[in-house]
Amino acid sequence: MNAPGVWFMLVRTVSNGIRAILLVFVMSVLIVLAARGEREDAVEMWIFSPEHHALYQAHIDRHDLGSADPPLRVSILSIEGIQSRVLGGVYGGLESADLIEVERAISGPLFLAPEGSVGLRNLRPILEREGLLERFNAPSLSPWARGDRLYGIPHDVHPVLLAYRADIVEAHGIDLSGATTWERFFELMRPVMRDEDADGTPDRYPLAFWYTQKHNLELLLLQGDGRLFDEDGRPTLDEAPNPELLARIVSWCLGPDRVVVDIDEFSASGHMSRIRGDAVAYLCPDWMCSIWRSNTPQLGGKLRLMPLPAFEEGGRRTSVRGGTMLCFPEGSDRFDEAWSYAKELYTSPELARELYRTADIITPVTSLWDDPVYDEPDPFFMGQAKGRMYIDMAPRVPKRASSPYYDRAVEAVRDAATNLAGWARGSGTRDRDALAERASVLLARAQRRIEREMERRVIADTGGAP
Amino acid sequence: MFLAPFLILFTLFVLYPAIQSVPLAFEQTYGPGERVRVGTRNFAYLVEDPLFWRAVRNTAAYTLGTLVLQLPLAFALALALNARRLRGRAVYRLIFFSPQLMGIVFASILSGLVFEKRSGLVNRALAGVTGNHDLLAIAWLQEHVMATLVIISIWLYAGFNMVYFLAALQSVDPELLEASEIDGAGPVARLRHVVIPSIRPVATVVVVLAMLGSLQLFELPYVLLDGGGGPNNQGLTVVMYLYQSGFRFGDLGYASAIGWALAIPLIVLGLIQMKQLAPERVGS
Repeated sequence: MNAPGVWFMLVRTVSNGIRAILLVFVMSVLIVLAARGEREDAVEMWIFSPEHHALYQAHIDRHDLGSADPPLRVSILSIEGIQSRVLGGVYGGLESADLIEVERAISGPLFLAPEGSVGLRNLRPILEREGLLERFNAPSLSPWARGDRLYGIPHDVHPVLLAYRADIVEAHGIDLSGATTWERFFELMRPVMRDEDADGTPDRYPLAFWYTQKHNLELLLLQGDGRLFDEDGRPTLDEAPNPELLARIVSWCLGPDRVVVDIDEFSASGHMSRIRGDAVAYLCPDWMCSIWRSNTPQLGGKLRLMPLPAFEEGGRRTSVRGGTMLCFPEGSDRFDEAWSYAKELYTSPELARELYRTADIITPVTSLWDDPVYDEPDPFFMGQAKGRMYIDMAPRVPKRASSPYYDRAVEAVRDAATNLAGWARGSGTRDRDALAERASVLLARAQRRIEREMERRVIADTGGAP
Repeated sequence: MFLAPFLILFTLFVLYPAIQSVPLAFEQTYGPGERVRVGTRNFAYLVEDPLFWRAVRNTAAYTLGTLVLQLPLAFALALALNARRLRGRAVYRLIFFSPQLMGIVFASILSGLVFEKRSGLVNRALAGVTGNHDLLAIAWLQEHVMATLVIISIWLYAGFNMVYFLAALQSVDPELLEASEIDGAGPVARLRHVVIPSIRPVATVVVVLAMLGSLQLFELPYVLLDGGGGPNNQGLTVVMYLYQSGFRFGDLGYASAIGWALAIPLIVLGLIQMKQLAPERVGS
């Protein structure tokens, strides 16, 4: 009996319920096939940032790239949506875009892939061939490099400065020009911690930070030259100076003399705290400036920026937080066109200028740093040439490992910090050496956890950190 | 034939994946395409995995909180709403049930705001009522994660379970109650010897469902803690760890092993509980 005959017999013998399901199935298949249509012969780009989309779309419209051959089409997806679809493309060969901007959080799952299965093109050969590699800020390449392979080009640098309420600082007669170390900074900021309303707690705290803020904890560890992985990708959580750094950072949060306060960075209540001045200073990567500008316009003209106080005199005065890269799925058959568009979008002086003006983000392309836009006074930050300040720090941002276990290591360090704080509170310990010793034990446990996870994987190419 | 639609869907989306997950639990994967057989390695690692046992402890604590706090409260509310002279029963029922109507994701987001450290409603209320400003610093979502989850679940589900208890209470034979009253039984005695035995079948179902639901906790902490387990993984549950292993890190094999490590005790616990709480057979 032929297939239609079998189908007819099947439909005749089943119940109405089954017939209804079969009918829905057939109709759904037909609808999906009809709706698919032919894929437009365009270079497809996925991004997650509405600000980037506005910039790119304006550039596409200005230069008529939407009518070029092939045209460039930019679509916004959520960060989670991009992650799912990129991983879907890597895991299951599902259709993907030709170029994709991904946030740093996705690199972990991607780089867990076995050798040769990362699913993204190695860009190092083409970057070297076209002389583009040296145009990028070297530390900004580190999160996307695995051994001698480079899987993406960085969209940004994200150096970190300290933003502080100049109105509050000046009202207390404080001069922060001598705040070259964290200890000196907290010492100078003591006057803001008066309890003028007599409610038993300081009116303000010098710095907004808490040991449970994993990204800020990572930022400070990196600033102090802490490392989570070595060049071979081996975890180094419990190696110097991590325990000492962790002890110092957690000690800021302990006891009645604590100098930091927990303020949420992105919520309405956090914005209200900033407006009230519950903390005077904030760890401020470049992208945070536009968030403050849009969410707390009341702070315009009250904020100033300065380099981060160092952990030791002469130490690093910046750090890094976050990052986006542009990557090219291997399954794309339009790499040449996509690469051409990528170069246009990522090395365009016009776009770099607009990126800074609209999102306060510094381009990683060093040859564009001479643009006078970065010297423009920013009235939100009391007329400071904010761009130039961030660019001055850009070459000094710490490198970050590209290990697929990096995020887990950061979480493990945060857990160690949480445990350290709990132990310190329970035992009443404030001595820095005792805290460092305990931190060493906790970090060793955290490291062992990461090592066991790495040992368990038989399928991964753990590669090496750059 | 009437069962066929259910059977087909059940087979396709429940039975077949469950059967497939058995060999998968003995493999290590990177997505569905890359697979390596590793024997019992996943289970051996599971036994020594501190994160897994942290998740088990958290899930057990949450389940205990549900059974010990939420269900008695739901029953108490049902008793209160079953009072003969109570007016506006339907309104109260709606009030207590309404958290269920908003959906768990929205409830989680709302809870995140309510339990915020200095500006959240809970801390502000506590500080306002007591005059103690130190209470503003209670870090619910950083240091008391599990307690916060239990409190939120009480708010979310007590009303839901109350509806079941209330329906059961309202089906208790009034003649039995009257007879016991005539015989001199007080309120407590009536509750113990008439009401509870009468509602036992419904109570069994509610307890078992609450326990199984608690052991599979995922959405509430996932949304509340931004997809992670929170500081020190205080909010990490077994299902959340399963999700992270399978879909964040691509190791579907290990996720399957976690799934079976959860499923087998769940099945056993459910069966034991059904047997313990089932009504006694006449003449047995």
